[in-house]
Amino acid sequence: MNLGNLDSLTFFRPELILLGGILLVVISDIALKGLRNLINPLLTLAALLLALFYTLQTDHGSAMTLFEGMLALDNFALFFKVFLLVAGILVLLGSLHSEELASVHQGEFHALLLAVTLGMLLMANSAHLVMLYLSLELVSLTSYVMVGYLRSDRLSNEASMKYILFGAVSTGAMLYGFSLLYGMTGSLDLFAIRDALLAQEVVGFNQVTLVLVVVLTTAGFGFKTAAVPFHFWCPDVYTGAPTPVTAFLSVAPKAAGFAILVRFFLGGLSQPAGEQWAFISGIDWPMVLMVVSVMTMSLGNIAALTQNNLKRMLAYSSIAHAGYILMGVVLLTGTGLKAMLVYLFVYLFMNLGAFFVVTVIFNSEKTFELEDYNGMFRRSPFLAVAMSIFLLSLIGIPPFAGFLGKLYIFGAVIDQGLYWFALVGALNAAVAAFYYMRVMKHMILENDDRPPTPLRISTLNRALLVLLLVPNILLIVFWTPIDRWAANSITLFGGL
Amino acid sequence: MIELKYFLLISACLFSLGVFGVLTRRNAVNVLMGVELILNSANLNLVAFSRYSSTGIDGQMFAVFVIVVAAAEVAVALAIVLTLYRVLNTVNLDRADVLKR
Amino acid sequence: MSVTDIVFILTAIVTVGSAVVVVVSRSLIYSVFSLLFTFFGVAVLYVFLGADFLAGAQVLIYVGGILVLLLFGVMLTHRLYNLNLTTERFQPVAGTLIAAAVFASISLAAFKTKWKLVGERELEPTTQQIGEAFLSSYLLPFEIASVLLLVALIGAAMLVRRRTDV
Repeated sequence: MNLGNLDSLTFFRPELILLGGILLVVISDIALKGLRNLINPLLTLAALLLALFYTLQTDHGSAMTLFEGMLALDNFALFFKVFLLVAGILVLLGSLHSEELASVHQGEFHALLLAVTLGMLLMANSAHLVMLYLSLELVSLTSYVMVGYLRSDRLSNEASMKYILFGAVSTGAMLYGFSLLYGMTGSLDLFAIRDALLAQEVVGFNQVTLVLVVVLTTAGFGFKTAAVPFHFWCPDVYTGAPTPVTAFLSVAPKAAGFAILVRFFLGGLSQPAGEQWAFISGIDWPMVLMVVSVMTMSLGNIAALTQNNLKRMLAYSSIAHAGYILMGVVLLTGTGLKAMLVYLFVYLFMNLGAFFVVTVIFNSEKTFELEDYNGMFRRSPFLAVAMSIFLLSLIGIPPFAGFLGKLYIFGAVIDQGLYWFALVGALNAAVAAFYYMRVMKHMILENDDRPPTPLRISTLNRALLVLLLVPNILLIVFWTPIDRWAANSITLFGGL
Repeated sequence: MIELKYFLLISACLFSLGVFGVLTRRNAVNVLMGVELILNSANLNLVAFSRYSSTGIDGQMFAVFVIVVAAAEVAVALAIVLTLYRVLNTVNLDRADVLKR
Repeated sequence: MSVTDIVFILTAIVTVGSAVVVVVSRSLIYSVFSLLFTFFGVAVLYVFLGADFLAGAQVLIYVGGILVLLLFGVMLTHRLYNLNLTTERFQPVAGTLIAAAVFASISLAAFKTKWKLVGERELEPTTQQIGEAFLSSYLLPFEIASVLLLVALIGAAMLVRRRTDV
């Protein structure tokens, strides 16, 4: 079903609420000078919660397109919308008591957070190359500003500069790829592109051109998901950005990047064949993507081994996790897609948790160096235990949530008979255990000579830590709803 | 009427020159100029295909949006360049490398 | 060879030639000014392609907006009395090789690919069509583009603001 502009508005409430939120925050920032520090976070939170409420309420029946084919509304998009809004809410709460952001005025930060969330929601359900490009640019542009938010801080500026130059080039390459695809099919609509490609049977040199299209567009998507070889910006940007922003970047735009990757490659360039998809072009794409996935996780994990700056280590670890998530995509099966969704969902809580502990420790210690984490267990047992749980979850050790994600991903890989692929993944998880354990060793076992002074944690931060711990501990017990939700969410418009 | 491939050839020239500029320049403003060349080449492709390969004006519409985004991107990029200049007194990328360790 | 062909070849030479100057010139000011000719050249090519509105937008936004912004960027980041606006280059060999490989592959694709071709069409004014598309099938991108501009405005203003308290 294709809806016109007016009929689509009913299904567009979450986005409209976010849009209203942006405007209200901008106005209240100017008009309510005295109250704005109280009102703005509340307004932002209200907008995000209301958008989440309406997203959960959305009952669209079968998959359809909105706004004259610009957006596709399907279960896949809804999963990502819920995911991204939850990520937005958690990051907002995590940014409230952050000393880094407290040094600058935060009015714009909240408007930008809403804008980037709006962009990501649109990314998750774009079905038209124009929408895809615009939403990706909306997210990128906002993230550049958020990374450079500490404008008197040299690192923040530098990170922002590297980010925008790298981002502009990779989206430029992606755009060139889009233009070639337009030339081959005469259409900008993803589903029309697929139909055109199927109708003309890509043969001869057109296959090579399609490869070129895939390479160029992957530059754009790889940039958003921080997959090798488009990851160079990632460690520098993650280190330089304010920690709440880093936490956000490592989860939300990455997930939106995966959503857009799946929609472009499975929705636009592949044809569904039963439970599986087949790429239109004759090249063995799964093999190529598998190599990318293996390189991404290995490079990320190996580089993380030698890092002494916690933020930088977590940056490399998030590159490695992009590799694991990609494992689910390359299988081109429903099971693989479902595993990817489950992994993303648990990754949200464990990664945000780990970054949040880093934020809390920076608040009182002003440091990201691993050495300075020595003796943290004696100073704040709660914080050390929380960090250990997040890290164990990131390793994938039962009974924590990360195990569930790894279980689904490796299960789906083994299901396809790709034992070597699963083995590489498992070896990588073992390497990752080293550096995560190293952090725990510093926090719990190593002590410095100073007498342990208790660490101050604000009540809000303590509550948020508990909020992030709960899913990490309990998801393993209550995994059936997640399983059912993910299984429902693999319906793509025009796909399976 | 001029054939499609000549337009594509010009755009290929612009794209690879843009890539060359991006790879070889260390001044941030210069890198931005390379990016502008890349965006222009993609736009030229879109408009050419809009004339030769489709019946509508989709390609031209896309090009309009690209121009809008390019303007916004340059504005933000220059804001970042200016802030960095204020902190560092340089816009050369190799001197902005505290982050590399 | 008709007049049209000659004009086309001249435009192509100016466009590509000035783009070469943009990326090889050691002086920033030269680069910016040759970018002006590239943008103009592309605008003329749009006219050849029957995109009248876009040709106008190209001149107004690229030449009138983006180029001026870039000039501001050059001027503001170099003290005006220090006229040594040169720029250094690095990795020239690797850069040349990669750019050459890129050029070879995409120009080969341009010539060898069977593009989708529809029959020749009459040249029509496009402004009305574009305006109508903005308010019908491209309404959502139109609105999102305005959000993007708002964000760019807020972001750029926030970044360059000097005082920390406002």
